Parts: sequence; structure tokens; C-alpha cells
Amino acid sequence: MSRKPSLSRRTVLRGAGALLALPLLERMLPGSARAAAPAPSPRRLAVFYVPNGIHMPKWTPTGTGAAWELTPTLQPLAPVKSDVLVISGLANDAGRPDGDGHHAAGTAALLSCTKAFKTEGTDLRAGISMDQVIANHLARQKATRFASLELGIDEGRGIGNCDSGYACPYANNIAWAGPHTPMAKEVVPQAVFDRLFGGTHSGETQAQAARRRAYGLSIIDSVREDATALQRKLGTTDRRKLDEYFTSVRDLEKQVDALGGPTSACGTPIAPGGDEDPRAKTKAMMDLIVLAFQCDLTRVVTFMLANARSNKVYGFLGLSGGHHAYSHHQHVQSNFDALARIDRWEVEQYTYLVRRLKEVKDGQGVPLLDNSLVYFTSEIEDGNGHIHKNLPVLLAGKGGGAVVTDRHLRAPGVPIANLYISLMRAMGVPNVNTFGADGTRELSGLLGG
Amino acid sequence: MTSRLHERRRWLGLAGTGCLLLLAGCKGDSPPSARVLPETPQDDPPVQVAGCENTSIDPGRVTLHRLNRAEYDATVRDLLGDTTRPARAFPVDDHGYGFDNNADVLSLSPLLMEKYASAAETLIESAWTRGTLRTCALDAANPEPCARDILSRFARRAWRRPVTPEEVDRLLRPLALAKQHGDTPEAGVKLALRAVLISPHFLFRVETDPKPASKTPHKVNAFELASRLSYFLWSSMPDEALLQAAEQDKLRTPQELEAQVRRMLADPKAQALVSNFAGQWLFTRALDSAEPDPTLYGAFNDTLRRAMRQETELVFQEFLTGDHKLKDLLDAPFTFVNDALAAHYGLPLPGSTTPQRVDLSEHPERRGIFGHGSLLTVTSNSDRTSPVQRGVWVLEQLLCSAPPPPPPNVEGLPPPVNPTMTMKERMALHRSLPQCQGCHRMMDPLGLALENYDPIGRWRLKEVSGAPVDATGDLPDGNVLNGGADMRRFVKADPKLPECMTEHLLTYALGRGTSEADACAVRLIAASAEARGGRLSDYILAIVLSDHFTSRRGDTEAPSP
Repeated sequence: MSRKPSLSRRTVLRGAGALLALPLLERMLPGSARAAAPAPSPRRLAVFYVPNGIHMPKWTPTGTGAAWELTPTLQPLAPVKSDVLVISGLANDAGRPDGDGHHAAGTAALLSCTKAFKTEGTDLRAGISMDQVIANHLARQKATRFASLELGIDEGRGIGNCDSGYACPYANNIAWAGPHTPMAKEVVPQAVFDRLFGGTHSGETQAQAARRRAYGLSIIDSVREDATALQRKLGTTDRRKLDEYFTSVRDLEKQVDALGGPTSACGTPIAPGGDEDPRAKTKAMMDLIVLAFQCDLTRVVTFMLANARSNKVYGFLGLSGGHHAYSHHQHVQSNFDALARIDRWEVEQYTYLVRRLKEVKDGQGVPLLDNSLVYFTSEIEDGNGHIHKNLPVLLAGKGGGAVVTDRHLRAPGVPIANLYISLMRAMGVPNVNTFGADGTRELSGLLGG
Repeated sequence: MTSRLHERRRWLGLAGTGCLLLLAGCKGDSPPSARVLPETPQDDPPVQVAGCENTSIDPGRVTLHRLNRAEYDATVRDLLGDTTRPARAFPVDDHGYGFDNNADVLSLSPLLMEKYASAAETLIESAWTRGTLRTCALDAANPEPCARDILSRFARRAWRRPVTPEEVDRLLRPLALAKQHGDTPEAGVKLALRAVLISPHFLFRVETDPKPASKTPHKVNAFELASRLSYFLWSSMPDEALLQAAEQDKLRTPQELEAQVRRMLADPKAQALVSNFAGQWLFTRALDSAEPDPTLYGAFNDTLRRAMRQETELVFQEFLTGDHKLKDLLDAPFTFVNDALAAHYGLPLPGSTTPQRVDLSEHPERRGIFGHGSLLTVTSNSDRTSPVQRGVWVLEQLLCSAPPPPPPNVEGLPPPVNPTMTMKERMALHRSLPQCQGCHRMMDPLGLALENYDPIGRWRLKEVSGAPVDATGDLPDGNVLNGGADMRRFVKADPKLPECMTEHLLTYALGRGTSEADACAVRLIAASAEARGGRLSDYILAIVLSDHFTSRRGDTEAPSP
């Protein structure tokens, strides 16, 4: 792991006070002035995860290609049908656990396509997730203030085991910065809002901004020296813990270093309410995703509608049992009905996000959705059999021309990692030819034909 | 080795009478026919444990331990007098081996670092405004002597050890930076104070080994030991008395350690053991997210939820300070209820909205934790009781003999064949699947014996269907547990109970999972705790005085990639 580039970049930055002002000024221009020198609209990725799989008989469209119809579960997509691509048949073999633990293993592998090491504590190990590969790429370009956002609505499970011998971080995180580092997610809408818009220091002078930056960096230098001195005294396991510290400090440094706050395209954002109801909380998070994209605060967001193996009781859907319990349906019709109701609700939330992204325009006056990829999936297909093949997959938005929508694409048995190679390339990551355990090429058919 | 494998092997290695049955049951063999129900346990067990006489005990090692949310909040409360609980805005800590203070799973994400940085700024600004940190006046012309004083005092407490002059020198650097930007010395000192709070020496509990690559055990140093004590008992930093004891190297003798433990347990800060240890060991924390089906169990509401949590917390608190054997938690003849909870339980109303201690001589069904609404609710499904969850809870949390998880594709209880089937009959049907039979034969009877408690902990004689409750659990050996009282006696007499309680408490005390390598230590600590009198304080003392608590060793080699 090399830290030198970051130090030398800092050195360059310090000697270039005058240069610093330029991008800051550019970002402060009103939208119309920026339109005069149009840059291509940035591409954006949102991942929408749902737990416990999907009841596929009510999900999978019968037609293939452009001749597809909405199924009962996909019915909520009607207003955005032309913006959606349904992909059937993708498999994530790396999600299969050792013994039991399908939910945790499937979730740890969801975006990493890497088999999680079975442990309740020591030696936590999965792999970098595709969203973080993209985030790293964008961070190198200093594209946005936040390289990525990790959101959800559920706190971690309070007690007991998470999933059959798999540690909770596997079940609670789909974004992984590296094999040992899950990206913790935010679950309080207000906290996300404060984070996005709290530290923008609007109205400060250039000198004040420079001072703030210098102060922030001095703290970072100080603690990094502490850590470096400490590192020499530690054994291997502890050093790995301290590596997380170094990585986090480096990320903090990037933020302190980053210039400016939200662009003018986003107007005056309104803070979300403090509602604990999952419906209100989900909507608030969707609104924040749209806002973060609109203000170009980040271009990569992952969202977990609940943690893996969630046994949430959807009382507001008229259901009394828990989601996970229903998912072990045992082919009982009443369980199928309950699952279909939950699935449909999940699709409604996803649709809301897609619809909002279609309504809201970016700085160039283009609907956000045109340049976005909004990806829906779950860690398994069927909850009873814990199937890691034929995963439920939706992709909305055209990703700036990377995807042709309003179709049902069948790709039976194809590694989902191939889809991720396509998504990473669509997001501009260069030289991605393989990914995870089994990604070897782009997924063919995203552009039709 | 994963813990499940470990448990599995423990299962195989169990020596107690009941355990052989567990083993036999789980393998699907026919159970041994002779099984005597528990005898009275020995009053005075020897502190020597068979099989561990000549074993040199490896104290193991604890990974560099990040403060979890509870520890962070308690630490800034004691360090800065700040009670705003800033860690509520931090991402949730993951947990391993049943506790969220497990050093291995406490990771540090970039998001958390960002929160640390912003919390540090807010905390220091507020403490500075309140004057908490200003031990002297900063002279604008020559600020360094006072700055040095402020920073060295603060860093000593924040880092829970003496700081070196070089470290203070480094902390003083922002003074020059502030001056360079035309700012006051105060601004520089505040920057340095913020740096103290996001330094690894604050965020982690640092313990170092003289030889990081040697497995030879050594005593942790006095300051590391002080922090082990304070984070175990208070979830917080050492106070001045403890820090000074460490500075004077007084923590070496068992007498001094015992005196510190007793002093610390008497402090209100020991409440942390209730919320952080008991809250997770007894699953009380899960009550926050319990969602009983409102159509069937509409009687459950937030008033009851709160009263149930308080009941278990107050009972555990009483065990922390009172003269009770820890295993009496299973059948303590008293509890704490307010009017709402008393009515819910069918007890006489104490005439108060705050919990009152009540005697249960006339109400044996409410004795001990198996009478607590908290535990009975969190081990139920939303719409029915779950004898399996209740049984597994007993096996995991009290007997450390958890069965392996169910194989795929068979989880779940079949729906009733006819509407008036009892839970026991439905479960018998479920158990008829051969792949389920083995393990369920042990889990089910423990849970079925509690069938008189509904999913929100009310006493009942009939199930929702109208079928009369059958609260009998058939043990694999043919003996029958006849209701809750029988079940309490059975579990309380299991020889695994003291060791299992030790295992959970030790896991929490060290912040690491235990493995087979710790088996003898656990047995010795349990025996020593029981010999001392078997109170919770005896268990705590036995742990604190053990080599596991006072020693550590280095890593052997690089872990597998």
C-alpha cells in the first residue's frame, strides 16, 4: 500500500495556493454561466439493495427483449417502464456460504463477488465492492466532495449472532473499501443531511477557506505521526487495525482538501424530518440520494432497504410475520402472498427514486436519470432454498448511453460480476477486465441486440 | 477456526451429564436411558480443575481495541464533562461473539473518522467555552508554558497514560501555525486538543508487546491494566484514583486490584455493566426493536416495553451490588415492577408508575429471568411464541452449548394441520423430519416448558387457538420438564452454568471471543468465582485476577492473507 503519492500531492497543493482558487471559482458560477462551457454530464450510480430475495414467479416478465410486460410485482414501475431494464438469470457463486449463512455471505459478496471468510470476529475478509472501485476512481479525479455515500434505514442487529457463524459486518454492509474494511452506513436521514450540507461554510472568504484547510490538515498530520510511531510497536493483527485508521485519515484528508460545497444547481435543500416510520425514512433517504446527485456532492451511493436476513414486520402492509420468516415460505401460499406484498412495496420505493431522478435536472438541464444507473438487487433469489442464481436485477437509467432500457434481458448463468464490469466501465473506470471471483468480460446485451 | 466449529467441538467435548445427552440427541443416536435429574450442586468445589492442573495457560491477545459508541460517550463524559452523547451520530458498531465491544469486529470506516473529526471539534469548542480545559491563562506574548500545561494534562487523561515531552512538543506545533495565520494562541491550542481526540491513542485502547512477534505471555503494563479495568467495569476511561494507582505502580497486588474493583463497582458508573453487558447477554437491548403483532398482542406498548427493560436492568443491578449468587438470576424471589407491568403479569399493583421491588414468594411463576417480559418477548416471534428461540437462548446464553444452525430448506414451523393444535403438537410434527430431530430434541423441551408465557410475557392457560397450553418438555432421556419451575431447576443445576456465565463475562471483559485455547482458564475462573461465593462480584474479581486479564502475548506470524 503506497502512501507516497498522497503526501506528494499535498506538497504540491501547499505550494499552489493560487491554483487552488480556480476550481473553487468555477464551481461557484451559476448554472447558466457554466452551461456556456459545457462539460459532459457526469455519470452516477445508485445501488438499491433489498434483503431475503424476491418471490420470482410474480417478478419475472414472460416476454424477452422489447416485448416484455410488467408482472404483478413490477407493476409499480409502470410510470418509468421505458427507463428500466430487467435482467434475469445472473448468478453470484461467490455468495454461497460455507455451510449455512446464505444471507450474510450473499450480502458480503453482493457487490464484491468475493467469497466471505466464515468467522464471527477475527480475520474478517471479503473483497472490495464495485461501487468502491468506482468511488476510488472518482476520488482520484477529485470529482466530488464525497467519494461515495453508504445509506440504509436499519441499525445493525442489536444482539446475538448475525447469520450462522458469519460476523455481522457481512450482513450489514454491501460496500467494502477493501477485504477487511466494510464501509459503515448512515441510517439517520438528518445526520446524512447535516453531513452533506452542514460543513459547507458558505460565504467564507478565500483566506478563511485556506486557513480552515491548513488547520484541518495540521490535525491530520499530527495524528498521522502518532499512528506512524505507534505502528512500529505493533504486531501484525494490530497493524491491520491501524491500517483502517490510515485509510480513514487519508479519506478525511481528501475531504478537508476538497474544494467548495454543493453547486448552485441544487437550490436550497430542505432537511428531512425525524420520522422513524420505515416508509418516511426510506423516502427521506431517496430524497437525499437525489439531492446528493443534484448538488454533485457524490456520484456513487449504495442503499440498504434493510440488513441481510431482516425479519422486519411490515405491519403497514397488513402483515404480522417477519420478512425473513415469510421468506422461508415452505411453498405455503399465504407466505407467497406476504412476500409478493413486501416485494411490491420494495419496488415502489425503488420506483420513487427512479421517478425523482427523472424529474430532477442536473446542472446542464438534463434529467439526472439519463446519466445515472440505478441498480436493484438482493443477495439471493429464493429465500426458502437460498438460491444464489437467477438473482432479481433491475437497472434503470441509461447511464449516459451505456444501457438500452425498456427491455427484459435474459442472461442465464452469467456471472453477475460481468454486469459489474460493464457498470464500472460505464462509470469511467479504465482497464477493468476482470472482477471478483468470476467476472471475466462485460455483460453482453446491455445495449440491445 | 470459526466459533461454530468451536462450539461444535465443545459440544463433542462436553463432560457434564446433560451434555452427553445433547450430543447424542444432535447426532440422532438413541439417547442413553439413564438420566438422573440434577443433584444439589457441590457447595465447595475445589479451585483446581481436573484436566487443567499442569496446563500452562495462554492468556491470548486482544486486538487493538477501538472505543465503541458507548465507550466513546462515557469517555468524553468523564474526560470533558460532556453529556451530549455525540456517538449517537456515529455508525452502529458491529458485534462479534455476542458483544459490540469485540475488538476484532470494531472497524474504523472513513465515515466514522469523519464523525470523530467533527465530534472532536464540537467537543473541544464546547469544553473550551465552559472553561473545563483552561488550567492557566494563555499569554499572547509567550503562550507556550501555559499551552504545554494544558496539553500535557489533557493528553495524559485522554490517552490514559503519561505523555512524553516529545509528544507534547508535537502537540504544540499548531501554535506556530495559528500565529502564521494571524490567529490567537487559543486557536492553536484548540487545534492541538482536537488532534488529541482523533489520535489513535485516544480512539484505540493501545496495548503493546515488548516482542510483538513472540507468543511468550507478559503482564500488561500498569496503564493498560487500568484501562482494562475501567473499560470492563465502567465502559469508560480510568478516573484519577485509578490513573494515580497505575502511576505509583500499585496495581500489582491482588489486594489492590480487589480494592479497586470493589471501589469501582460501588460507583454509579458501574451501571455500564447493566446496559452494556447485561443488555447484550440477557438480550434486553433487543426489546427496542421487538414488534409484537398488534392485532394479537395489542396490549404491548411503549410503556410496557420501558417497564420490562427496567425490570431486567434493576434485577441485574441488584445482583451487581447485592449479596446474591449469580445463578440465582434464574429464580430470584423478587423483581421490580410498576403498576402497568404488575397488571400485565397479574401481580398485586405496587401503586407506582416507577418500578418498585416486589416479593415473589406468592408468585413463583415470575421468579428469575424466565419470568421477565423482556426475555420472553424478545425470544418470541411477532405472532406466536417460539419454543425453539427460547430453548436456543438458554443453550447459548446460559449453557454455552448451542446447537449448530438448521440445515437449509427446513427452517420454519409448519402451519397447524387443524386450528386447535397446540404448539407442542405442531413442533412434534416439525421434529418428525429426520434432519431436524436430533437438535430439536434438546432445544424444544426447554422452550416448551415456558409455553405458559405468551409472546409478550403474559401468563396464559390457553393458546390463541383456544387449545389448552401444554407446558411440558420431554427431555431426550425420557424425563419431563413440567413447566417453568421445573425448567429453572434443571438449568440452574447444570454444571455448565457457572462456566458459561464466565465465558460470556470474560468475552465482554476482554473484548475478544474465547476459543478452545481458553477452556481451562474459563473453568478455573468459574471454579474460583464459585469458591469465593458465586456472586457476580466474585465472578468479576476472579476474572480481573486471572492471567487472562492481567497478561497478554504477541502475534505469532502474519495471519493468512
